[in-house]
Amino acid sequence: MENNKFMQVLENILLPIADKLNNNRYLTALRDGFMIALPLIIFGSMFVVLANFPFLDELLSKEAYAAYQSALNPASNATLSIMGAFVIIGIGYKLTEQYKLESPIYGGVVALAAFLILTPQVLEDVTGVIPTSILGAEGLFLGLFTAFFAAELYRFFVQKNWTIKMPAGVPDAVSKSFSSLIPIALTLTVFLLTRIGFSFTPFETVQNFIYTIIQQPLTALGSGLPATIVAVVLIQVFWFFGLHGQIIVNSVFDPIWYALNDQNLQAFQAGTELPNVITKQFIDTFLVGMGGTGMTLAVILLIYLIGRSRQLKQIGKLGTPPGIFNVNEPIIFGLPIVMNPLVLVPWILAPVVVTVITYFSMSTGLVPKPAGIIVPWTTPPILSGYLATGNAWQGAVLQAFNLIVVMLIWWPFLKILDKNYYENEKNTSKDKIIFEEITGIKGFRDFLN
Amino acid sequence: MKNILLACSSGMSTSLLVKKMQDIAKERGIEAEIWAVSQDKAEIYMEKADVLLLGPQMRFMKRKFSKKADELGVPIDSIDPVAYGRVDGAAVLDKALDLIGKKPL
Repeated sequence: MENNKFMQVLENILLPIADKLNNNRYLTALRDGFMIALPLIIFGSMFVVLANFPFLDELLSKEAYAAYQSALNPASNATLSIMGAFVIIGIGYKLTEQYKLESPIYGGVVALAAFLILTPQVLEDVTGVIPTSILGAEGLFLGLFTAFFAAELYRFFVQKNWTIKMPAGVPDAVSKSFSSLIPIALTLTVFLLTRIGFSFTPFETVQNFIYTIIQQPLTALGSGLPATIVAVVLIQVFWFFGLHGQIIVNSVFDPIWYALNDQNLQAFQAGTELPNVITKQFIDTFLVGMGGTGMTLAVILLIYLIGRSRQLKQIGKLGTPPGIFNVNEPIIFGLPIVMNPLVLVPWILAPVVVTVITYFSMSTGLVPKPAGIIVPWTTPPILSGYLATGNAWQGAVLQAFNLIVVMLIWWPFLKILDKNYYENEKNTSKDKIIFEEITGIKGFRDFLN
Repeated sequence: MKNILLACSSGMSTSLLVKKMQDIAKERGIEAEIWAVSQDKAEIYMEKADVLLLGPQMRFMKRKFSKKADELGVPIDSIDPVAYGRVDGAAVLDKALDLIGKKPL
């Protein structure tokens, strides 16, 4: 009972946090905006993998390989490398949509235009260009802020309802076609003035200002091991209470992880040394991509290995097919992991240990760092590790190694759980074993409703 | 025809359940359209649904969706975590039908 009360208290704290973070207008727009860009990002990633296919550089002549690469590269250059553009449109669109304006797509395009206005349109003395690098990692943070401000301004001016009065007799549709003109013009003028204003400061451009003041410190912090462990533990704790950890934590960390990812991609394509260990793929492939949050594919394997109780065997069987593709709700709610004090230790500990192992095996060069390729999170482990590290077998081996580590951490705890279930099954003639009866935690069902 | 909508973060884990629910509905001869979407599309699809069930891990979104659901008169609830873990199609289908039955006309 004591235990239960403590959990209830924690849940009462966590649920409002999840609710607040999740219902925050800007974080929602950010998350859904990234979702819009995701298909393009994955398309581009596929072509980075194909362009760097293993052994091709040895099979083909140097010229043929270069021609092959330059034939495929536009696919990723037009999508993955300039993902910022799509994210900005996505955020602008999704934020405007929340205000239920008539054509939210204007919110998307006005955000992109505002961002381009703030962008230096010169590259090494060549004018009339937009450097693609600012649409990748470098400009990502400015892109997010610009999208927020542009969409808000646009919304503000639309709601003010300043329109051009047409003389009587002009068809309604004609005057309506101008209805977006004033809000867009005013919004973009504000950004142009901002740009001009910044040219008088030592930063010279807004790009430079945001990059130096916000993006650099934040990504430096986010690329470190301590911040990553904090994020990982938070995700595990949320899930322990049956709340979707990533949807809550990632909306804060995604901009940092994607920016770090893109720095690696640029280095990978340029053939230079990859700067970051912690990236979007570090999290998605080496932590989540191991059967789902908490690397539960290892738990399933362990069930096959040592499970004696009917309950666990059943859960293992049920959880295997989705688990291979990193969907693990049957395990999380079925084992259960949610609210189960017996598995709290391995649930939190295993991901932290794996984070540390993965971090050091990459920072010491034992395993190549993630190459900036966004592998869909539903890609089965082993394959995903291979792809994410830019077709390196070491990535696959690291995942296999980590699976074994997770199994070892879980072993004693799963053994106890299995024994409890087994004894209970022996002692009861009932077919259905309810978790509550075994662990003594009352109200497990009502708890989450 | 009953329209039952399920939603979770990306519509993956709820789609496991959808398959089971469809099988059970067929067995019982209930005509039902059952489908799963990601949370960002839930509000759009709500218009076609008679009931919206959220994955228990998304239960903190109930409040957010309630506004639109109330407007449309679509009952909304989160799925029982035990049934969710067992991918118990029958229990969730029962709950969905129950919620539709209670719907104020």
